[in-house]
Amino acid sequence: MSNSTNQEIGAKKEEKYRNIYVIIEHFEGQVVPVSLEMLGEARRLMDDFNQKYQLREKVVAVLLGSNVRKLCDELVTYGADAVIYANHDELKYPRNDIDTRVIVQISKDAKITKEIEPEYAGTFVKPRYMFFAADNIGRHLSSTVLAELESGLASDINKLVISDLDIRHEHKTKGQSVRYEKILEMYRPDFSGFLWTTILCLDNKNPEIQREYHPQGCSIIPGAFKPMEKDNSRNGTIIEYFPKIDQEPKIKIIKRSVIEKTIDYETCKIVVSMGRGIKDNPEQNIKLIEEFAELLGAEIGITLPLSKKPYQISQSMDSKYMIPDRVIGTSGSKIAPTLYVAIGLSGAVQHIAGMKESEIVISINIDENSPIVNESDIFIKGRMEDVIPKLVDKIKDQMQAISVRST
Amino acid sequence: MLNVGVIIKLEPDFSEGNVSYNSDGTLNRAETKNILGPHSAIACNAAFYCKVKYGARISIGTMGPPIAESALKQAQVLTDAEELNLYSDRLFAGADTLATAEVLRNGVEKMFGADKMDIVFSGHRASDGETGQTGPQTAWKLGYTFLGNVMDFDIDLDRKVVVAKRLISLQGMDTIVEEIESPLPVFITIDPSYKSAFSTVSQRLGANKYSKEGRIKSENYAQFLKTFDSQKLDLDPKLVGLPGSPTIVYRVEKIPRAKTNRKTAIIDPSKPDNLTPVITKITEIARGK
Repeated sequence: MSNSTNQEIGAKKEEKYRNIYVIIEHFEGQVVPVSLEMLGEARRLMDDFNQKYQLREKVVAVLLGSNVRKLCDELVTYGADAVIYANHDELKYPRNDIDTRVIVQISKDAKITKEIEPEYAGTFVKPRYMFFAADNIGRHLSSTVLAELESGLASDINKLVISDLDIRHEHKTKGQSVRYEKILEMYRPDFSGFLWTTILCLDNKNPEIQREYHPQGCSIIPGAFKPMEKDNSRNGTIIEYFPKIDQEPKIKIIKRSVIEKTIDYETCKIVVSMGRGIKDNPEQNIKLIEEFAELLGAEIGITLPLSKKPYQISQSMDSKYMIPDRVIGTSGSKIAPTLYVAIGLSGAVQHIAGMKESEIVISINIDENSPIVNESDIFIKGRMEDVIPKLVDKIKDQMQAISVRST
Repeated sequence: MLNVGVIIKLEPDFSEGNVSYNSDGTLNRAETKNILGPHSAIACNAAFYCKVKYGARISIGTMGPPIAESALKQAQVLTDAEELNLYSDRLFAGADTLATAEVLRNGVEKMFGADKMDIVFSGHRASDGETGQTGPQTAWKLGYTFLGNVMDFDIDLDRKVVVAKRLISLQGMDTIVEEIESPLPVFITIDPSYKSAFSTVSQRLGANKYSKEGRIKSENYAQFLKTFDSQKLDLDPKLVGLPGSPTIVYRVEKIPRAKTNRKTAIIDPSKPDNLTPVITKITEIARGK
């Protein structure tokens, strides 16, 4: 008798926090890829979770916008068990203030749970886990939502594991070893690109500062996970939520304009990067690199030190190349082109972290001992002033020969 | 009078010559100098723009150990700030972003003798923590409207609104510049692409004057410095530092390399034939094979 009561109490607590809520982003009628990637990872985690714990928790997609009903079915085919969508003119474009309020409303709304899983409607308090995209929108939205829900958040995650852990912590457990169940281990690469830090969001079980922290939230790096294969046979519950928008949003959008991407490393097959090795004759060397890159249809990248504008060069060159937007590395872009050509750069840790996923790396440098050598498939030991013109001439010849043959 | 706050951070200096790495590639914190973080410096530039253009007065705040004073001093050089605030207490140690925001909220609320602030700036993200969460969480706790990735802004003093341009760049989508408007007070995180521009002669003269004053003030920065511990900030010790942090760092490990080390072919370019296979490879890729 007492056993079953205990189980019930245990089960009740389980029912307070349930499900993975995935905050979906969309743009001009299209779901942003990272949202499908998050759904895919949530699906995999939840399938394992339900099997391991013999539970039936759900992947819940949360979608705000105007005229977004049409996107809901797609979210189900990519792994959602339920989609909660809010349609409102004021939600047409992302705005932190109103989006935060609506997501918090949805997260705390037990009535929605009734439509998803009626048996838990009476006990549901908040989501167990919550995923956001680590991008311009999701990074800030995750911060404000979790601030309002007063729980923990880890950013820029690229690996997730759910497990039971024995924790001994000065504050969380007052130094005692305590078992925590269903904990989301959130892995984030650090700024050096060498270390992985695992962040946990844990209830305070220290009797002096007892406090429950749910949901366990994180923002996920776009491209870190794979979406699941689209499955048209999947069924899901689609629920419209009618948000209470009692105050006018403070932020007014006056105009939105598409700007042409001047630099696009994502779709670029070849990236040519330069470092401080251009220093002997910066302007001339940049011209050489420009010519080389243009020939290959490559985008140009730089190392972090060049973004500090260390050289006296023409204004136009300076503002075109010596800018943070072109930095490859932890403090700039992390890229993975088919070919990466590293010119006159030694390969500082933070730079390598940004280019090491490149398929093929060719480097040109006078110093055989620089770290970039080990990160290269081909290392050309020489001065860029000598090597690049040779490459340019020969590549031109080959390109011409090929185009002559093919006509 | 426009009241402008800036939240800054003392960070490792990642520039060549100042940064030191351990042999395993991790940061050697003991050997690495600390400076005002680069994104904090951009936030300072935005505040300075408010001073030159709108005659704002500026208060700078930072949470950190006593050595974080040096960041406040550097920030004063950039902004000619009237007030520097150090939020420092051993109780704050080990704080995650939520517990940090708890301290910063109370700090901002006490700027200029608890006067009402109009704008608070912070950097885009710290170069060591790199979460980018502290700014928006502080904004939320303050109840200020949060504007992120702001590349450019101006203030309409009559209407008490800020007009800003912000960047929205989502994976695989067109980049958008959005022009927005919001009533003060606002909390702005400044995009790295922000550049303050002084377009008129009087603004340029003003900028020169305040720059000079900022340098002079910073010589005696201690005169402008106020230090707050948790008591002075009226903070609940349970909500700051480790006890107030929902998250903990559980484990730090080396990231296993995704690929095995590359086998490097070293080529001597002085013999022209040596370059032939490289050229063929490059041409193949350039042609999409």
